[in-house]
Amino acid sequence: MEDYWKINEELVRHISKAAKLNLSDDEVARYVREVGDILDAFRQIDKVDVGGEEPAFHPLPVENRWREDEEKKTEWDPFSNSESREDGYFKGPKII
Amino acid sequence: MEVMIGLEVHCQLATRSKLFCSDSTDSRESAPNENTCPICLGFPGSKPVVNRKAIDYGIMVATALNSNIARRMYFSRKSYFYPDMAKNFQVTQYEIPLALGGYVEVGDLKVRIRRVHMEEDPAKLSYVGGDITNSKYVLIDYNRAGAPLLEIVTEPDFKTPQQARAFLEKLSSMLEHIGIYDPSREASLRVDSNVSIEGGNRVEVKNITGFANVEKALGYEIVRQRGLLRMNMKAVMETRHFDAATRTTKSLRKKEAEADYGYIFDPDLPSITLSEASIKKVADAMPELPDQRVARISGSYGLDEYQAKVLVYTDKNLADFFEECCTRYAYKDPPHAANWIINYLLKSLNWNMTAIKGSKVRAGTFIEFLGLIDSGTITERYAKELIKEYVDTGISPTELAERNIRSTPKINLEEIVSAIISSNRQAVEEFKGGNARALQFMIGQVLAKTNKQADPNAIKELILKMISEAK
Amino acid sequence: MNKGASMTSVKEHIEKARSGEVDLKAFMEEVMERTRAIQEKYTPFITINDNPAPPASKGMLYGLPISVKDCLCTKGLRTTAGSKILNNYIPPFDATAVSRSLSEGAFLIGKTAMDEFGFGTFSTNCAYSIPKNPADPERSCGGSSGGAGCVSAAADFPHVAIAESTGGSITAPAAFTGTVGITPTYGRVSRWGLIDYANSLDKIGVMGKEVYDVALVLSAISGEDPLDSTSHGGGREDFTKSLEGGIAGMKIGVPKEYFGEGVDERISALVWKRIKELEGEGAAYEEISLPLTEYSIPSYYLIAMSEASTNLSKYCGLRYGLHGELSGNFEEYFSKVRSEGFGDEAKRRVVLGTYARMAGFREAYYLKALKVRSKIINEFRGAFKRFDVIATPSMPVLPPKFSEIGGLTPIQGYMMDILTVAPNLAGMPMISLPAGRIGGLPAGIHFIADQMGEDSLFRVAAFSEGLEWK
Repeated sequence: MEDYWKINEELVRHISKAAKLNLSDDEVARYVREVGDILDAFRQIDKVDVGGEEPAFHPLPVENRWREDEEKKTEWDPFSNSESREDGYFKGPKII
Repeated sequence: MEVMIGLEVHCQLATRSKLFCSDSTDSRESAPNENTCPICLGFPGSKPVVNRKAIDYGIMVATALNSNIARRMYFSRKSYFYPDMAKNFQVTQYEIPLALGGYVEVGDLKVRIRRVHMEEDPAKLSYVGGDITNSKYVLIDYNRAGAPLLEIVTEPDFKTPQQARAFLEKLSSMLEHIGIYDPSREASLRVDSNVSIEGGNRVEVKNITGFANVEKALGYEIVRQRGLLRMNMKAVMETRHFDAATRTTKSLRKKEAEADYGYIFDPDLPSITLSEASIKKVADAMPELPDQRVARISGSYGLDEYQAKVLVYTDKNLADFFEECCTRYAYKDPPHAANWIINYLLKSLNWNMTAIKGSKVRAGTFIEFLGLIDSGTITERYAKELIKEYVDTGISPTELAERNIRSTPKINLEEIVSAIISSNRQAVEEFKGGNARALQFMIGQVLAKTNKQADPNAIKELILKMISEAK
Repeated sequence: MNKGASMTSVKEHIEKARSGEVDLKAFMEEVMERTRAIQEKYTPFITINDNPAPPASKGMLYGLPISVKDCLCTKGLRTTAGSKILNNYIPPFDATAVSRSLSEGAFLIGKTAMDEFGFGTFSTNCAYSIPKNPADPERSCGGSSGGAGCVSAAADFPHVAIAESTGGSITAPAAFTGTVGITPTYGRVSRWGLIDYANSLDKIGVMGKEVYDVALVLSAISGEDPLDSTSHGGGREDFTKSLEGGIAGMKIGVPKEYFGEGVDERISALVWKRIKELEGEGAAYEEISLPLTEYSIPSYYLIAMSEASTNLSKYCGLRYGLHGELSGNFEEYFSKVRSEGFGDEAKRRVVLGTYARMAGFREAYYLKALKVRSKIINEFRGAFKRFDVIATPSMPVLPPKFSEIGGLTPIQGYMMDILTVAPNLAGMPMISLPAGRIGGLPAGIHFIADQMGEDSLFRVAAFSEGLEWK
């Protein structure tokens, strides 16, 4: 299997597109280097044998916390932080 | 050519509040963005808290679908950017969903269920100055954002669009009977479908509302794919959108081989552990499912299975209405009631474009109506006319019948029969010549003149009498 | 205002205020004046709360000035999380930690500077102001709660800072500024209103000059909150009760991995000296080994960045924060706003985090890291079966000069967290105390306890404070 601890330009561009970030060519080149160094430092985690270990999503168990099905109206102005609106709707960018 | 169709049904659960916050889920009378709060709008610092009822409803549905309920389940974040996403990730269940496996029997077909899981609804978009492909900007209403959805995914077991539709109708009835879904709410059931033919590429047709549209969309898509195959072209793996106006599917975007949603377990939410006891408790409290109801109704009320099925599957409220008539009002002839409901009442309701629930029909007045027929106060023929006015106005049938009698002038039947005979010499001759239909014709003429109020037998007697006397 | 008031301890000030001996209006005016002076000198604030509301009640924090790290929402007062992308954000609600403090009678002096979203160890990734270390203004206060550490050290009035730690962001500034910083057990303080860095790692904590101060405010803000599913702890606890407990018979574990070559020898020596002093006072220590320590950096960062990259998806120029002109389709619009609003470190972490959870890679990165975390938690728990607390240096270096920080590569920056990420990953509570000065610069000693073990921490911290190590 290919060494997954390596990163290249194509991958950085693909990821930044998925994450909606415009990276300049300089930035892409720099990230390839920096992220490459970081991954190199991280690769030692491969050495740890985690056979049979459950993933810890929280450091202590967080289980069965919920609320009853009751409606409560929030008195607030959803537009308090946005001027991009029209007729009570939020205005957003087009799809295509 | 072998067709494979799979469905993903998104059902909006009829909880009072949203999945992760306390906003109301009922926005029918609300202004846009009225039922929102920092949580469903994804404001920085906000945190979700699970609505317990949504889990209970999920357990009920999974039980009804014979599905294996997870004893411990988790929520996941599914990341993708879109203007209808409050956080640009959707909280759903990926690796460990509510339930796996299961089946639904629809006629002869056993539809296998792949999985059932809970997730939150995105916001609603409207496209200004065009449609999704060419509008200049979008308008976003977050009232729907965060509403609880149950997603039911089937295996690609459907071979025809009709089978898919039949499944949806049955599923819808089941969900309605369980009580977790309100079909009167807009777009309560949304369907994504996957279609492929002859082992070719899978095409996704997204976000179809209405079962008739699902059938149409699938029908169109199969024809389209077949057409491509005949020209030795393959259908592209893509996502298409159903345009109800033109009844066609249109390409939306090319589907990347399994879009990368970068799933992680949602660290703001707890795991949900269900004990055997808690699952059993919810399952035991489950209301009667449609199949069970059909069996019980036909058994208890002496209906044949077909009648029971129509009552139960057309509209749950119709079956409720029937049972209310027979139990609460202790109507003595259930098959008769069923007959009138199915063959006449339903027609009038459809004509008025209302369902029984929103109509003016009430069990009390309907029983009255049946009573008028049973006692011979009105003829069956007249009843079939009267029912239309009754459905339209909701006024007591007795009252309506009396009004009609008062408002129509007293019928001089002899006069009318005499007039018909004199103006239909040829029919009289034909009848004398042995043509029974000529008699029926004349009876019909008289009936029309009397606004169908006169008794056909009485008319027949009179005609025969007058003809023989005229000799 | 009488000069004597500036040296008043938090405890004394609150007692005087409650008994009516303080002219609160004058006091508040004076505090705000001094706050502005500190801002002039050391720039630890992103936003100063010009007109703080008077105390809401005569509660346990009556008349106490507090500063709040700018990742906690304050209703009506700008909150940026140190990022340009929130430069105009006015929260419509208070974080629970803030509302509880205010309802106990505290008043808010301002929002303190931090590395953008918590991404950093020196508070140099702040889009607004970079706090200068009062011990030497050419040096960093540490991060990401640098502003909180700075104000805690520089305040010449009674003050407590509410701060936050994900991988060590309370410990680092406490060590670098010579103040006390408590990072409680994960879930001890509600995260409602905390702008997320990594949801399974973020913990709200407290910084101040004295152990009593942080114990008091922690008592006020902790406890279960129905608005945060990860909060626990039932009712509120009074941590000040632990302060008189003493250390007789206390068992201290000293892991050798925390004194290795990456740590400045002078710091190691100083910390060892303090441990031996505690032994002289009735505690017992033993050297132990925590071999998984070296894997805590990759495990921590892979989890933190995976979670952070999803948390940062929210910021796209819709509903709040930086907006752009609605030109182009949504992909173009989102990319434009995000690229403009996020700093370099934020972008790098989003890239790494997105990568770590990508299909095909998430098994090896994200899921593996979560399993390593389980092992690290178990390793700590094993140690805590035999020891009440673990003692280590807080940071591997003395507060660095800004000029030195500029030369660090990102990975070198991450490695500065080597002494703090493991207990943060494990959700263990920890407290950093001043251990003394080296060449005039502060160095910290770190005590770690088992989950929910804040009592042990406050006992050893209060006792140590009595030994006057500053």
